[in-house]
Amino acid sequence: MSIESVVFAILAGVALAGGIVTVFARDVTRMVIGLAAFLLSIAGFFVYWKASFLGVVQLFVYVGGVLVLFVFAIMLVHRSTEGSPYLETRHDIASITVAGGLFIMVVTALKDFVHDPVAGAMVTGTDEVAAVLLGPMLTHFEMVGVMLLAVLVAVVIIVGGEER
Amino acid sequence: MNLLVVAMLLFSVGLYGVLTRRDLVAVLASIEVMLGSATLLLVGLGATGEMIAGTQVGGGTVEATGVMIIVLAAAEAAIGLALVVAVARRFRTTRIDELTGVKG
Repeated sequence: MSIESVVFAILAGVALAGGIVTVFARDVTRMVIGLAAFLLSIAGFFVYWKASFLGVVQLFVYVGGVLVLFVFAIMLVHRSTEGSPYLETRHDIASITVAGGLFIMVVTALKDFVHDPVAGAMVTGTDEVAAVLLGPMLTHFEMVGVMLLAVLVAVVIIVGGEER
Repeated sequence: MNLLVVAMLLFSVGLYGVLTRRDLVAVLASIEVMLGSATLLLVGLGATGEMIAGTQVGGGTVEATGVMIIVLAAAEAAIGLALVVAVARRFRTTRIDELTGVKG
């Protein structure tokens, strides 16, 4: 067993543990910590494949931005509603059938086509990413920028418009 | 094969969370797990360096697409959490089984 497969197994274990804690935790704080572990391990996967730029973006945007957003939303929401948050589950059997069925379906359909990338498979520098972002994908890049501005305005209107 | 199993396990766990969670914030967190696993599978597929639909996809394209997905996911989380805060202010609850009315 090579060192690369050990690293892959550790990353996969952390990601799975984080995802399971996110979905099954009864406590909101534990849910956020599970989400943090999951997002960090995804960034770890990107660095493991040497997609370093993507790993850094994942760290900045997700762990630095979205996670803080979640914490803020939990602070705002669960202060204005009385009592502790209800996180318990329902419809267990049907949901596990749907989720497990989808898993089996996709894995059996794609198992011959998806191969494992080796560690450090992507040796792209930021210059190559920039050449793609400002070259063939320039339209996408600009549209994402416009969409982010629209999202900013929309969030201000949605959250701020209620109070008078 | 390992990558596919890990990503699909994460996706299934997230889907299960979306279907079973009762709190709106927890549903959004489960959606984040689903989105993260999809990004993981996409970037992993790109990292194999194989031909996809007859064309060679370079690492720059894969990383740029990944950046686009991450930015879109961040925008989705921002809008979703803003809606959750607005709902919590108006109805004093975020339990989805209490939010049954359609009329605003």
